[in-house]
Amino acid sequence: MVFNSLTFGVFFALVLAFHHAPGVSWRAKKVALLLASYLFYAAWNPPFVALLWISTFIDWRVAKRIHVAESHGARRTWMLVSVGANLGILGYFKYGGFLLENWQALMSAVGVAWQAPAWDIVLPVGISFYTFQTMAYSLDVYLRRAEPTKSLLDFSLFVTFFPQLVAGPIVRPVDLVPQFAAPPAPVPGRLAWGLSLMTLGMFQKVTVADGLLAPAADAVFGAGQALHWSDAWLGTLAFSGQIFCDFAGYSTIAIGSALCLGFSIGDNFRYPYAAVGFSDFWRRWHVSLSTWLRDYLYVPLGGNRKGPGRTYVNLMLTMLLGGLWHGASWNFVVWGGLHGSYLAVERFVRERVGPTRFAQTWLAQVALAMVTYFLVNLTWVFFRAREFGTAWGMVRSMLTFGDGARVLPTADVALVIGTVFAILLAHGLMRERRLEDVAARAPWWLNALVVGAMLFSVVISQGSSNAFIYFQF
Amino acid sequence: MPSSTSSSDPKGLGSPQQHSPLRDVPAGPWPRIAWAGVLVFALLLGGWEAYWRSQWFRPSYRNSDGLWALTHERIASEGGRGTLIVSSSRLLFDVHLEAWSEETGQLPIQLGLEGTSPRPFFSHVARETGFAGLVVVGVTPPLFFPPPGGERMSALALTKQWSPADRWSQHLSMRLVEPFFAFYDPDTALFTVLRRQAWPARAGLPPQMPRVRKLSTTRITRQNDMWARVELDPAYQKIARDTWLAFVNAPRPEVPPEVLKKGFEALLAEVGENVRRIRARGGEVVFVRAPSSGPFLAAENGGFPREHTWEPLLQATDAVGIHFEDHADLRDVELPEWSHIRAADTDRFTRALVRHLREALAAKGTPREELGR
Repeated sequence: MVFNSLTFGVFFALVLAFHHAPGVSWRAKKVALLLASYLFYAAWNPPFVALLWISTFIDWRVAKRIHVAESHGARRTWMLVSVGANLGILGYFKYGGFLLENWQALMSAVGVAWQAPAWDIVLPVGISFYTFQTMAYSLDVYLRRAEPTKSLLDFSLFVTFFPQLVAGPIVRPVDLVPQFAAPPAPVPGRLAWGLSLMTLGMFQKVTVADGLLAPAADAVFGAGQALHWSDAWLGTLAFSGQIFCDFAGYSTIAIGSALCLGFSIGDNFRYPYAAVGFSDFWRRWHVSLSTWLRDYLYVPLGGNRKGPGRTYVNLMLTMLLGGLWHGASWNFVVWGGLHGSYLAVERFVRERVGPTRFAQTWLAQVALAMVTYFLVNLTWVFFRAREFGTAWGMVRSMLTFGDGARVLPTADVALVIGTVFAILLAHGLMRERRLEDVAARAPWWLNALVVGAMLFSVVISQGSSNAFIYFQF
Repeated sequence: MPSSTSSSDPKGLGSPQQHSPLRDVPAGPWPRIAWAGVLVFALLLGGWEAYWRSQWFRPSYRNSDGLWALTHERIASEGGRGTLIVSSSRLLFDVHLEAWSEETGQLPIQLGLEGTSPRPFFSHVARETGFAGLVVVGVTPPLFFPPPGGERMSALALTKQWSPADRWSQHLSMRLVEPFFAFYDPDTALFTVLRRQAWPARAGLPPQMPRVRKLSTTRITRQNDMWARVELDPAYQKIARDTWLAFVNAPRPEVPPEVLKKGFEALLAEVGENVRRIRARGGEVVFVRAPSSGPFLAAENGGFPREHTWEPLLQATDAVGIHFEDHADLRDVELPEWSHIRAADTDRFTRALVRHLREALAAKGTPREELGR
């Protein structure tokens, strides 16, 4: 079920009531949370719960085998079983059609007429998130970063925990599993703050992403014709705001709902559109994925420890695979490749120029942040466009002030410009701050006014249970 | 991507001492803030609800895809028998379901969808369900004869995949929200209201089709009655008429005659095959051309002459067709915005329509028990 639905409202109220009920054992509460999480997932497509069970069973068994294995070879074999099983499930559901399609194109290119069979497979929602999360458990044990948990209940809950099950943040076992061991200590105001965070997340998703920005992005990317540069830019800016508010909104609801239950989940976004440079951007955008890729792909590949040439290769490989993680399409590979190139160029420049006094001035920081935002926007075109040709046409129009159709009415032009400006301003102001600190300094009545107004805007926007963009990944 | 490496110290995963740092709760009276926030929300929402009630809105069911899908489920739950209506908005608004039920003893399954070609839905009923009763197909020429499409094609997807969560949300909405709140209407959604304000025109942008405003209220049976404001508020009625005028006067792409001919032949083949399939399992199909007037009627008769569209359709399908122009009692209705019958006339129109269908089918030698008597 999606967070922005009546079903989730009733579901969460019942879960919360049971979780905070007096006189119920901690174990019973955990069992209830596990069952609720299975129900949460089954509400999309019941048979796919079996995938959660398979992932849970495999990594539970494999991590124990890795831990007790005495030889390096045995440890490595069991680790490969986990990676193979998880990537196998992911590959079958997510990349099967893509691989067949490209194999057919390759065969055709060498003169072999071969027709790929129809690949009509439904993509289980959130599969990229929970396969990475469970794989991290076995990898942590293999890399001797952690020991296996002793409780199957706690591990099952870690795999299935509903607040972050389908779109992250991708939680590390060392961060979440220990929290299941004992009831959380009471913290005054935690429930109310958690609910306030959920309201903020709903506001980002329903009001800003779906209400203010999505119509403009959909109109531009679905135009099907050459666009005037102004509309190409407006559509891209709209999507940059939409995808941030959609995904950060989901993460905020996930963090808030977990907090209501007494659990802590780390930040997934830290005002990324105020990033100065691309390594800064990736410290602020989808933090749980970028750190996952760093710890389980970039570092094991050798990171920056095997010389400059290999560092650039590792960086590019990591970002290309990171792009492919988002979806089975060459557009995502291009998106990852662009980010990999940005990171490589930035690293190259930093190594040669080094830190300068000018680069630290306020003016230079703002200019660099704007360049970063500009280049990030170019990548969003490839991320959002369904076909490469559409993306290329838009980028060309954006960079060459191309002529073409105008598709956005004045209302959407005004809403996009106003909203994107507000997002950039908010990110700029919050760049070095934490939401918690800002909320603590504000008068209580102002916080109440903001929470009430956000909730009001969510309800009167009448969102239509639109799925979050990242569900498809 | 951050370039630091993670800790290599092994950590156990089972002991409470190894919790990751808890998120802090900002200082402040958060329970008080939450309750005050709820109060602010309630006050704002109360004002919003009062405003929309002052604008003629009353609580009613949403004409949603979910309600359509629940109505569609009656095909299976009622054993594929009875009467089923596939149509665009004309028969959705014009057929009074209770009157039909009184005349025939059966409540029709109303699957009409506004602004949408009924043909894909007719194909679905013929090819993907076992329906073997009476299918009433509404023919609104500008929606029926061109290539199929429309505003509400999304409903059809729910016949293939409707998640349990969406189904539960539909039931919750129909029990907890829709019967009580007037503001919960697609026409009063915040951004719909914002976007339909009189924004200055943008240079270089081709003329935009106006969005069709609220025209009806929906009951749980999917009975749609013309909204009182369309009938009684002259200013709002003018908005509705101006919207139709914009559609009627919109430039149409020039289509070569041979393409039109080929398309029409394909349409007849498709519809004919659907009729054949339904008859093969004991069902029957009738076509109904519901009333229109004013510029709408002129445009429909001009763009889709009866002798080149309606008559060949009936001939190709060997089906009964009721055209409102052939019957004085079907013409004797008021259409405040030229396209749909006012609420007060639908009862009389429906009873007359049932009578004509009954007589026509009997005359053809294929009387149907679904029409009673």
